[in-house]
Amino acid sequence: MTTVKDNKEILSEANNSLLNHILKTIKEKNPRHGKKITKNLENIGDEYYKKSAEFFNKYALFVKGEGKDVDYGVDCYLKMIGIMMYEQVDFFRTGEYSCKSFEEANKAVYSNPEVMESYMHGLLLSQFLWNHHYKVLEFFIEQINSVKGQVNKYLEIGGGHGLYLSEAMEILGTNDIDYHCVDISAGSLEVAKKFVDNPKVSYRQYNIFDYDEAEKYDFITMGEVLEHVEDPVALLEKLGSLLKPDGMTFITTPTNSPAIDHIYLFRNAPEIIEVIHKAGFEIVKDFKIYSEDVSEKRAEKLKVPMMYAALIKKK
Amino acid sequence: MTVQDVLSQFNEIFIDVLDDEDIKLNLETTADDVEEWDSLSHIQLIVAIENKYDIRFTASEMESYRNVGEMCNGILNKLAAKV
Repeated sequence: MTTVKDNKEILSEANNSLLNHILKTIKEKNPRHGKKITKNLENIGDEYYKKSAEFFNKYALFVKGEGKDVDYGVDCYLKMIGIMMYEQVDFFRTGEYSCKSFEEANKAVYSNPEVMESYMHGLLLSQFLWNHHYKVLEFFIEQINSVKGQVNKYLEIGGGHGLYLSEAMEILGTNDIDYHCVDISAGSLEVAKKFVDNPKVSYRQYNIFDYDEAEKYDFITMGEVLEHVEDPVALLEKLGSLLKPDGMTFITTPTNSPAIDHIYLFRNAPEIIEVIHKAGFEIVKDFKIYSEDVSEKRAEKLKVPMMYAALIKKK
Repeated sequence: MTVQDVLSQFNEIFIDVLDDEDIKLNLETTADDVEEWDSLSHIQLIVAIENKYDIRFTASEMESYRNVGEMCNGILNKLAAKV
């Protein structure tokens, strides 16, 4: 007879074979980065191993369907890390994001399927390789559970790789719920479509500012999009126009997080909260986490990126 | 300026950026020897060094330095080229 402990050990081993392979490859190819993410994953909790096992197994099947393997994803991830490093150096030198306009980001990234595909694989893996991305996903799952049974129409804006949509569908179910996913990038929608792999979702390629939906949504998720636009208040106002009066929205956005397509620089959480309030929303619950395990004082001194997440509703 | 001078100035920068008074660098020190030296703090160190010496590293230089000695020599070469 198998004991509970044995099951846990088996689960942990099965999971770790893929996770360990990925971490080992990253350490070989980029030792300083490997060191950083391994350190940040220490003491992350047992639930992480269970959840990441499911994720990496799903990811392995997903890339296999594309005729690729997990190492392809690791290469995409490391490429993204390399680009981010240059952006970070530039950010520390100038105190600003290098990308100044939506048009610039659109041309260099969103409208370039090859760049976008690689970027999405990198970002997808980061959801389970970065402590702070994983913790924000946990917070999202908690919020989605809190609205279970109250959602008939669900929208994700900037669905990216599809992980959040996939988690929401697992929790809310697919009976009698319309799922819509809007993204500006065809490359991103292709990745999401294959990763989510569920015919219940309607994928729509739009600039969200041009998106017009007569029927409103009960729940809108918009992860890491606010920093990609020139006017985040206008984006949240647009989102508010797509929401039912008692609808809820889940948003995330980082501070001090340079990337090739980040335009709007939030320097701290109060700046994000101000934007939320200006757009006519109130915060139901929020969560913030730095990308490194450092004190608040050091995080501010070294401009360590922070991820801010919130469940919000219209005032 | 000698390599030892740069090394001693580096030591102060590392202590400040990594917030660890006990750091004692030598020319062979690598990221494996200093707990807080990882990819993010590497960038912070690079930019602190750039500001101290009023120089700029190229992207490939940033990635190529394997130990403190290589970084110190990199600085000396850049300072020599400026004169």
